[in-house]
Amino acid sequence: MKLQENGRQGHSPVICDERTNMTKYLIKRLLYGLFSVVIVVAIVMVMIYSLLDRNLIFAQDTTYTHQSNNQKVTYKYQKWEEYGYLDYVTYADYMLELTQKGEIDEDTRASAVGFGRTEEQDSDLVKEYVAKFTEYYESMGYKVERMDAVTMGGKKLASGGQQQLFAYKDLPLASRLWSYFTGLITVDNINYVENDLEDRGLSFTLYDPVYGGEKFSPAIMGNGTYNKYLLYFDNKFPFIHQNLLSINLGTSYSVNQGIDVFTTMTKSQGSYVKSTITYPSGLVEESADDLHTAKYLAGSQSSSLVYADRFVDDYTKVDTVRGGLSKIGYSFVIGILAVIMSYFLGVPIGIMMARKKDKLIDKIGTTYIIFIIAVPSLAYIFLFKAIGGLAGLPTTFDMESSSKVMYILPIVSLALPSIANLMKWLRRYMIDQMNSDYVKFARSGGLSENEIFTKHILKNAIIPVVHGIPSSVLFAMTGAIITERVYVVPGAGNLLTEAINKYDNGVIVGVTLFYALLTVVSVILGDILMSLVDPRISFSTKDR
Amino acid sequence: MNYDFKQFNMSEEELFTLVDHSSLESEKITAPRYSYWQSVFRVFFRKKSNIIILSILAVLIAFAYIYPLFVDYDKFGNLLNADAKHLSPLKAMNKLGYNIHWILGSGAAGQSTFDAIWFGSRISISLALACAAINMTVGVVIGSIWGFSKKVDAVMMNVYNVLANIPYVLLISVIIMIFTPSFATMVFALTITGWLSIAYFIRTQVIIIRDREYNLASKCLGTSTIKIAIKNILPFMTSVIVTLLATEIPSYISYEVFLAYIGMGLSEMSLGRMIFEAESAMVTPGWGFEFWSPVVVSSIITIVLYVVGQNLGDASDPRTHM
Repeated sequence: MKLQENGRQGHSPVICDERTNMTKYLIKRLLYGLFSVVIVVAIVMVMIYSLLDRNLIFAQDTTYTHQSNNQKVTYKYQKWEEYGYLDYVTYADYMLELTQKGEIDEDTRASAVGFGRTEEQDSDLVKEYVAKFTEYYESMGYKVERMDAVTMGGKKLASGGQQQLFAYKDLPLASRLWSYFTGLITVDNINYVENDLEDRGLSFTLYDPVYGGEKFSPAIMGNGTYNKYLLYFDNKFPFIHQNLLSINLGTSYSVNQGIDVFTTMTKSQGSYVKSTITYPSGLVEESADDLHTAKYLAGSQSSSLVYADRFVDDYTKVDTVRGGLSKIGYSFVIGILAVIMSYFLGVPIGIMMARKKDKLIDKIGTTYIIFIIAVPSLAYIFLFKAIGGLAGLPTTFDMESSSKVMYILPIVSLALPSIANLMKWLRRYMIDQMNSDYVKFARSGGLSENEIFTKHILKNAIIPVVHGIPSSVLFAMTGAIITERVYVVPGAGNLLTEAINKYDNGVIVGVTLFYALLTVVSVILGDILMSLVDPRISFSTKDR
Repeated sequence: MNYDFKQFNMSEEELFTLVDHSSLESEKITAPRYSYWQSVFRVFFRKKSNIIILSILAVLIAFAYIYPLFVDYDKFGNLLNADAKHLSPLKAMNKLGYNIHWILGSGAAGQSTFDAIWFGSRISISLALACAAINMTVGVVIGSIWGFSKKVDAVMMNVYNVLANIPYVLLISVIIMIFTPSFATMVFALTITGWLSIAYFIRTQVIIIRDREYNLASKCLGTSTIKIAIKNILPFMTSVIVTLLATEIPSYISYEVFLAYIGMGLSEMSLGRMIFEAESAMVTPGWGFEFWSPVVVSSIITIVLYVVGQNLGDASDPRTHM
């Protein structure tokens, strides 16, 4: 029984048991991780929605400074609603809603919606509905505010002095969290479109109409869904694409208005790339439109001649094909190459430093490590940029250029600190192992130094280094703040700082969630990788 | 062995007296007394390069803390003098006089770069020392408790998983936006979760040492937990703590520079803010001095602090005291 628990016997039932135990353990870890992610998002929401002064968002708003009186106040509440601070309902909205519900008719609405400049001037009908409005919203915890008209003496209204009546309520954290996490993943369905449609449903075709209907290319299309194409093939990696599930991390307000954070990060940038395409109406044209991204926009086809010529239904909202990579794309290309470079350089140099301890290479390496740790990162990146500039390398990134040389400086700058880090830890781990008994035993057994280092010491010393690989690969996506700023790379690294500077709460929450998920996943992947490399490490034994 | 006692012309009774066995004397240790801190400094000063580095540190500290007391520095003193802006050292000295203020040229407002650097260094070094002191104290105390108690460990691991996932940049900028970007706010922002990583590091160290045999033996002999913590574990940790301190202090200076660069720095003229404001000067020919001088000075400060700390950390490891 004891042996079984330790799994030393290696019989197959024991291994199976270990595997399920390990899976159980990892799932538990993942759930714990996801739970902490939820708390992180909650804390960040409290920080940005409750702790920060919400008047700050108007600091650079010129529209706000140009307004005055009551209009300024309502403008503030409108903006706060857009930024997600509160729910804001005006009296006119309420009346419109009543009409739509059919509780009152259009004539009643028209005569009741215009309330007086002061409360005394209200007609009886208006009084009745204002009372209803107040009662309805106050019962739901809203605050109702009425502002009398501001006049410039006599009857003339002052600028922006129109009378106002509205209700507002701060969104409570719990409901904010709930709606955020429930809206995180949406599944497109044929009942998305609210308007009357004739033939709702999914259709499957083997010949995608985008390619003129002749080339073999299967696609699933929907009518009544938000996206026209739910599944399709094209010539871009990974060749099969879907629009059925979409991720909504949070809608941006000021960084990239109305666009989701996830889309902001993954949408390609740069100049348009035109190609010959066949529109649904049969029109063939040189255009950068990507018909596979067609989305529903109610009433759009008839609204414009451009759309009427090209489309046959209201699926007219298309993205454009652009030449550059997405924000994450640029960050990832640079990041992953930097990671590869740092492992290819850091690991061998670290091994050499440990083997030639206190020799020249060790001293040079240590000086380099001290330099990287001690000098502010900003300073050595600038230094490196200056050196690179003198060597004739391009120091700024240009999306339009096809040259690959411009990638060199950002990649190397990003790799510099991680090389130093790898060197530092690998040297430390190897030197620690060098004094252990098994090394002395191997040496006394007559193994050559080469064999001892490659077969024994390295295998043990590399384990903690392996643990960091998933994290460095995944975090290559998030980009680096300073490097991207210094070399003007259009990557994802600056998204968070930009969002903070622009008070874009949706983006802040979205990016935080993205980072937190990456952390949780990368730590678990690191543990799995470590246990694969070193069979002694097991997560299944009970007495951990 | 037959010795000839006759040559002394004395009897054996006169030559020898019988000494009683003294149990008290046998307990005495005749080796020289070992003092931990004395040995640390003996080892530290044995390396001659340490004395040089320490004197560089002394000069830096003197310039950062004493020089500003005697200099009347006003950033906007030369604002109206159009000829005084963005000067290289040589031109500045030709125009504004041959004295120490102009040996690094002048900045965008016609201010002396040299004076600005030392006023900035004072703020940056003070910030780093204050943050390191608070974070290290809190981190070491909480980390030791965290490592010792399994109940605390279970709770703290969850706290750590949550707090470590809040983006540091976001936390700091929210705090800076709530309060004013003053020195105290910056210290608060850098310490509110800054202790966490230190505590986590200390926790791991404590767990490694906690269950060693000598502590088990100590426990079996009835030593109280507090005594084990103070007498058995803390001495073992001193070198780790000093080494950690050596990386912490420069990291705050570095972090302050980073924050200033992304526009979330102090309102005072720290080194980071100087670098941030002079960034455009880097690429302008002839203006390079106002950008590179604060960069170089902050690098020198951090390197010196780091090397002193590392060597002190090495010296505080009792294994080097032989």
